[in-house]
Amino acid sequence: MPPTTKDISSRVSFASLTPNNVGTVKKLNSVLFPVKYSDKFYAEILQPDVEDFCRLVYYNDIPVGIICCRIELKGKASDLYLLTMGVLAPYRHLGVGSYMLQQISDSASSHTKSPVQRIYLHVQISNDGAKSFYEKHGFVEVGVDDSYYKKIKPSAAWILEKAISRTKEV
Amino acid sequence: MPPQTPQPNPKRALPNKESGLFRELLHLYESRQLKKAIKTADTILKKFPEHGETLCMKGLVLTHLGRRDEGKDLVKRGIRLDLTSHIVWHVFGLIQKADKDYDGALKSYHQALRFEKDNQNILRDAAHLQTQLRLYDQLLDTRIILLRLRPNLRQNWIALAVAHHLAGDLQAACTVLEQYQRTLKNVPPHDVEHSELLLYHARILEDLGAHSQALDFLDEHARTGAIVDLVALAEARARLLSATGPPDVAEASWRTLLKQNADNVDYYRGLLRVRCLDLGKLSLSILAPTDPAALGLLVELSDEFPRATALRLLVLRAVPASSDRFTALARAHLLTGLHKGIPSLFASTKGLYTDTVKRDTIERLVEGFKDAEDRGEPLDGDVGKRDPDAPTTYLWTLYYLAQHYSALGAHQRALALVVTALQHTPTLPELHTLRGRILKRLGDLAGAADAVDAARRLDGQDRFLNTKSAKYWLRAGDVARAGDVLGLFTKKDAPSPGQDLEDMQSLLYLLESGAAEQRLGRLNLALKRYHAIERVFSDFEDDQYDFHGYSLRRSIINIYLSMIKWANSLRAYPAYVAAALAASEIYIRVHDDPALVKLGSAVSAAEEKKAKKKAKKAAAKAQDAIKQASSANANEDKGLEAQPAKDEDPDGTKLLTDPAPLDRAWRFLAPLRSLKPASEDARAAQALNRAKSLDPENPDLHPCLLHFRRTCTSPSLPPPHGLTSRNCPPLTQLLPSEEEASSEVLNARFLQLHARDARAILSAAKGARVIGAPVEEVEGIAMGALADGVEMDLKTARAILDFLRKLSAPRADEFRKACDTQFALSTLFKTPDELAAFRAEGVPIEDAELIA
Repeated sequence: MPPTTKDISSRVSFASLTPNNVGTVKKLNSVLFPVKYSDKFYAEILQPDVEDFCRLVYYNDIPVGIICCRIELKGKASDLYLLTMGVLAPYRHLGVGSYMLQQISDSASSHTKSPVQRIYLHVQISNDGAKSFYEKHGFVEVGVDDSYYKKIKPSAAWILEKAISRTKEV
Repeated sequence: MPPQTPQPNPKRALPNKESGLFRELLHLYESRQLKKAIKTADTILKKFPEHGETLCMKGLVLTHLGRRDEGKDLVKRGIRLDLTSHIVWHVFGLIQKADKDYDGALKSYHQALRFEKDNQNILRDAAHLQTQLRLYDQLLDTRIILLRLRPNLRQNWIALAVAHHLAGDLQAACTVLEQYQRTLKNVPPHDVEHSELLLYHARILEDLGAHSQALDFLDEHARTGAIVDLVALAEARARLLSATGPPDVAEASWRTLLKQNADNVDYYRGLLRVRCLDLGKLSLSILAPTDPAALGLLVELSDEFPRATALRLLVLRAVPASSDRFTALARAHLLTGLHKGIPSLFASTKGLYTDTVKRDTIERLVEGFKDAEDRGEPLDGDVGKRDPDAPTTYLWTLYYLAQHYSALGAHQRALALVVTALQHTPTLPELHTLRGRILKRLGDLAGAADAVDAARRLDGQDRFLNTKSAKYWLRAGDVARAGDVLGLFTKKDAPSPGQDLEDMQSLLYLLESGAAEQRLGRLNLALKRYHAIERVFSDFEDDQYDFHGYSLRRSIINIYLSMIKWANSLRAYPAYVAAALAASEIYIRVHDDPALVKLGSAVSAAEEKKAKKKAKKAAAKAQDAIKQASSANANEDKGLEAQPAKDEDPDGTKLLTDPAPLDRAWRFLAPLRSLKPASEDARAAQALNRAKSLDPENPDLHPCLLHFRRTCTSPSLPPPHGLTSRNCPPLTQLLPSEEEASSEVLNARFLQLHARDARAILSAAKGARVIGAPVEEVEGIAMGALADGVEMDLKTARAILDFLRKLSAPRADEFRKACDTQFALSTLFKTPDELAAFRAEGVPIEDAELIA
């Protein structure tokens, strides 16, 4: 029986990134991704303007996942680029990832400062699981970057995006 | 001697104008207009420079303004000029009290009272000093005088009752309270202070054994609504009903209390007693009832209060270990904890481990959970009823098991479990701290500190993790790193993190940092910390003082009396005992081997420069702060108490080089003994006698006994410090006579008796050394700890190695190597090279996670 949304919301919670919990972020990144992130990366995700889009994810009060985005200004509007998203292996297939993505989409829809037009991201070609995960959540493939990854093979990546519709302002 | 009639001092009387000015001076002082007060005093002194009372008042005001020494000199001059004035003695008493010279202050107040016997301010201050000094007979006299002077003041009645109580006369206290209540008319409703007094009265009646009288008393005042603390009232009634009333009424009163708070163990105890199931010390930590009737009652209650943790644990204690019921209850208890992810589950459950059958059942249960989870089956065996168990349940199961095995001494197994858990979820700080604790138990102190520090880095806001990490760094000997970690939470403008923690009276820090310095051989700094602990306890004692007045004025009697009791046994607090023992050990070592002093300062010489620079900076900073403060408000009241003086001995060298180290040691230990001071050797004999009566086979005692015999009987040795008497009659009580058994024989006998106990082997080696055996023989005894069948733990092994090294024993390194093999994961027995190799070889946990 797959867990319902109600179960998920009682078990999963989010927290903003702060200089105090960045150690947990580093620990998660070191386990989840084969890349070592620079100090510049960590300085960036701690900026106040991305607070709604860079979150630690807790399952039963234990940090198990991380999602980080960057805001790219396009005139008055903006694009949201999904930098990293990951959940510790034992906590996958419990609906945590979908819930995280949903939260970020919701935040994007209600972002007023520079309205978000779309969320986009890169997925390494060959990672079919990840691709279908994003497609299930309304992302579509819009192109391929042949030399996106410098240090790992295959170096090509799909570009996926999802348009964001603004929530009506009350 | 009856008080002499004071001869009025002809110089005291002032003309009208100045006399008015003097009254104004008193008024200005009381309203803390200090600048004006000085001016007024000066006006009087211009005309009458020898007026003692004015001089004293000016001195008092100057002290308040921070000009302490100047002020004190003036006060002393003033006294000499007018010895029969109560004002000058009162002022002097105030200043002595501020210097914590309670004896001196009390003498001054007595002096003041000779010339003004009914001055209530002086009488009250004297009473506070008498309480602080525990002079209860004197206190009674003072309180009676005060009550006679102002019988309409409630606090004077209460104070007299409390004085009787402290002096041990409950009956008299009771009589005073009765008399007081007869004088009362029209108590306003809902008067908290009156309510507190009534509860106090009832408590005294109860302590006197007048249970039904106490009950009637409570009921009468409860009816009128005069008692407002309803919980205290209900608890007192339940206690009294249990002693007097019909059992069902008493039982009902305990049940009512349980409905309010089902986690109070006292209530269960009370209820069981009513049912004549007085089961001694029934508590969570001590053995449980074995009476089936008690168990029945507890089980019945747990239907009523299913959420009460205290009750659940009580039942788990009471249920017979081999019963199916225990297994079922323990299973439910553990499952709830694991599902909810309660971090303290093991801490609350391990109390049951005193029963090894229960311990094994619990182990089997939790191992069963782990197996089921490994196979992906639900834990409660009821497929489909619930969601699949959350991954966190598995994690908490691993966490529980790791703690379980570590507590049983199976550290390797515990380590493997915690590493599995860290590979599962590396972001739970508890797992890192547990890994640290296991490594510490295995003897890898630096590895342990690294692990706990990893936990700290996960959550920089968690002060518990911060303090733990610093403590582990101190244990690993990295004092500087500990300071950096602690500094993340201490005040930014403090001279150093350590100084701030000392000001905050952090006993944990002072004790751990003292021990760390001691292990590093920096005995001066270690002493510095231990003396700081002593000061903290003195401050606690001084802090009582204000409550002698405040509590009685506000009728906070019951809590006040428990505070007095607490203060009386303050020095039994573990932190003081530890500091006193460690400090006196250093002083005794310095006395035995004065060369240590040089060693201690040599180690710190390199750091001295650094420290001096730092101290200079800090002093400048402090100076600035003072300047700023003083320019901000010249009229500011700095109070009577001395401002913290500049530390003349920042690195403790003066403490270490004290010419009388044994006196220092004695001063630390004195509050610990219940012996009357006698000659030095009698003291030693008494202490040894007492130690022997407490634990005759304690291995640490054995070399002390031999040492004492040698110092007392050997005429060839120079008499040790303070040892005057050559005949030691108490010696025969401790040991058989020299003819019966020589020291050599005693030592051999002791060794034979405890041949399998490594601690005793070390003691025998120490004993052999004390009686002058050659190094080879001493060494031979110590090496015996390596023999087959000898039980040796890590701590003892390390102590033996230290002993052999101190002895410069040739086989010390052989012993070290043997221990390094025996304690494979410990770093305590490795040379620096071996340690580097050990670190390079081991897979650090960070990489282990990535591999997984």
